[in-house]
Amino acid sequence: MKSLITASGLSKSYGGKQALNNVNFEIKQGAPVALVGPNGAGKTTLFSLLCGYINPSHGELSILGHKPGSAALFNKVSALPQDAQLDPRFNIDKQLAFYGKLQGMSTKQSHNEALRVLDLVGLKEVAKQRAGDLSHGMRKRVTIAQALIGAPQIVMLDEATAGLDPIHAREVRELVSSLSSEATFILSSHDLTELERLCSQVLHLDKGILSEHQTKENNTDKHFYTLMLNEAYQNVEQQLQLLAGVSRVYMSQHKEYVVEYQPSNEPLDIALLNFCHQQNWQYRQLVNGHTLENQIFKQEKV
Amino acid sequence: MATPLPINMRRLTHIAGFELVRMFLTKRGLIALAAFALVWLIILRYPIGQAVSIISAPDFEQLARDISGSIGLSKLLDWPESEFAMYWLIALYSFPLFAIFICSDQTVGDRERGTLRFLSLRSTRFEILFGRFLGQLAVLACLVGITLIATLAVLGFREPSLLAGGFFRALSIFLTLVVTLSPFVALMSLINTIARSSRLAIVLAILYFAGGGIVVGILAWQIPALNALDYLFPGVNSELLAGQNLPIMTALGVPLLQSVALIAIGHRIFTRSSL
Repeated sequence: MKSLITASGLSKSYGGKQALNNVNFEIKQGAPVALVGPNGAGKTTLFSLLCGYINPSHGELSILGHKPGSAALFNKVSALPQDAQLDPRFNIDKQLAFYGKLQGMSTKQSHNEALRVLDLVGLKEVAKQRAGDLSHGMRKRVTIAQALIGAPQIVMLDEATAGLDPIHAREVRELVSSLSSEATFILSSHDLTELERLCSQVLHLDKGILSEHQTKENNTDKHFYTLMLNEAYQNVEQQLQLLAGVSRVYMSQHKEYVVEYQPSNEPLDIALLNFCHQQNWQYRQLVNGHTLENQIFKQEKV
Repeated sequence: MATPLPINMRRLTHIAGFELVRMFLTKRGLIALAAFALVWLIILRYPIGQAVSIISAPDFEQLARDISGSIGLSKLLDWPESEFAMYWLIALYSFPLFAIFICSDQTVGDRERGTLRFLSLRSTRFEILFGRFLGQLAVLACLVGITLIATLAVLGFREPSLLAGGFFRALSIFLTLVVTLSPFVALMSLINTIARSSRLAIVLAILYFAGGGIVVGILAWQIPALNALDYLFPGVNSELLAGQNLPIMTALGVPLLQSVALIAIGHRIFTRSSL
């Protein structure tokens, strides 16, 4: 797969505070990539570096072979920066059409493009409204729309679904999923379930230090199941431990159990579900492997 | 960071053009325009409309000549289009002040709101800075043009035979005035790269002229050669320019060089600043 972004020895300091510390990663063309971490971990700093809004203190960053922010990346890289707003005094279609023109479109093309991207985020009907007259969620969706103008190869969305109601957050997820064959998305969010659904590569930042996780590929090799039950039943760990092939069971969080097993001819997932049925346990979800949340935050148990 | 060159003229034109839209098609711009129109209506009605009677009155003519001569304005009294002599004096001193106010939010508002982040993914920082500068200058040029046309109308109403000469006089004033205004706009472009709000930009501009003037005055008093530091300030030759006593190359060259220098410094700061 084609390499889109490479970072080597990337560091960024603000005065005495180090926001990013010797970060190295590579992002290839393909499925969306997640950028996760607690508040103040350096996610927005990394996004700002990728967009060319700030310069690194040390290290190299290359996007499609160019420095972030260089003119060669216009029309190829787009982004939703956190908390950035459109001008509240203008109609949103005018502003998006203006961005389209800057991307090389004619007046008519840019107008049509503005309506197309507004339609993608379900806001075509309010195209003539000023940005200042829209609700917070609508403004957020308009800023997502601006990131979809043209045909970018890389789309970076920082906290795209923060502040959106569940229906629209779901629509944004579906939009990212449907467009992920055309562009590589880099998403930052605190909603790990959302990222788990969409992304295969996860960049985890904590205190400016980066670690990588795979949400799908590696999990299957590690022989874990994560079982989420609807209620807190008695002695779940002890009873699951009795199943053939199970080597270890522990409760990762309330009503959630991680089952470590040795692979055999008998599929354990079927046995697990049968066992739940026999015990009259209502299960909510069975995850093949660890959840992303457990991978990132419960590593001491993993 | 974005490289300054080559400049994409298409993007530059779009950015500059959007400033015109901002001025003439937004509520805030229209309010500024209405205030401007009101002030100029009064100016056109009184000082300019009565310019001839003021300047040509027999009782006052010699007095006006004496006063004008002592402050270097005697050449203006020879203009047959007295309205333009009055216009020139008022515009030369009022437009720079007006420019500082209306050009106070070139990039600072967009930077604080984050809108520049959307723009910088589509155009270089130089295109944004220079495009906004050109756009603001175009807005001022429109306003100068409108007031000149109104003055020409006042002149034509008084003496239609002076219209042809007045037209060329207006063209000359237009060109000189727009070039004279350019370093004021460029100064605001530069200040916008360091200020955190448009109000602060205005305060910094006032401090630059007032505080800077005092500092240069003291330095020049100690070392007379430092009088050259006056060229750090837009409008340095205003007094000579007002009386039409400045060679055309100096009248146009100095403001243009000042604009280039201010934009270059602004660009250097802008490319190194965080968005």
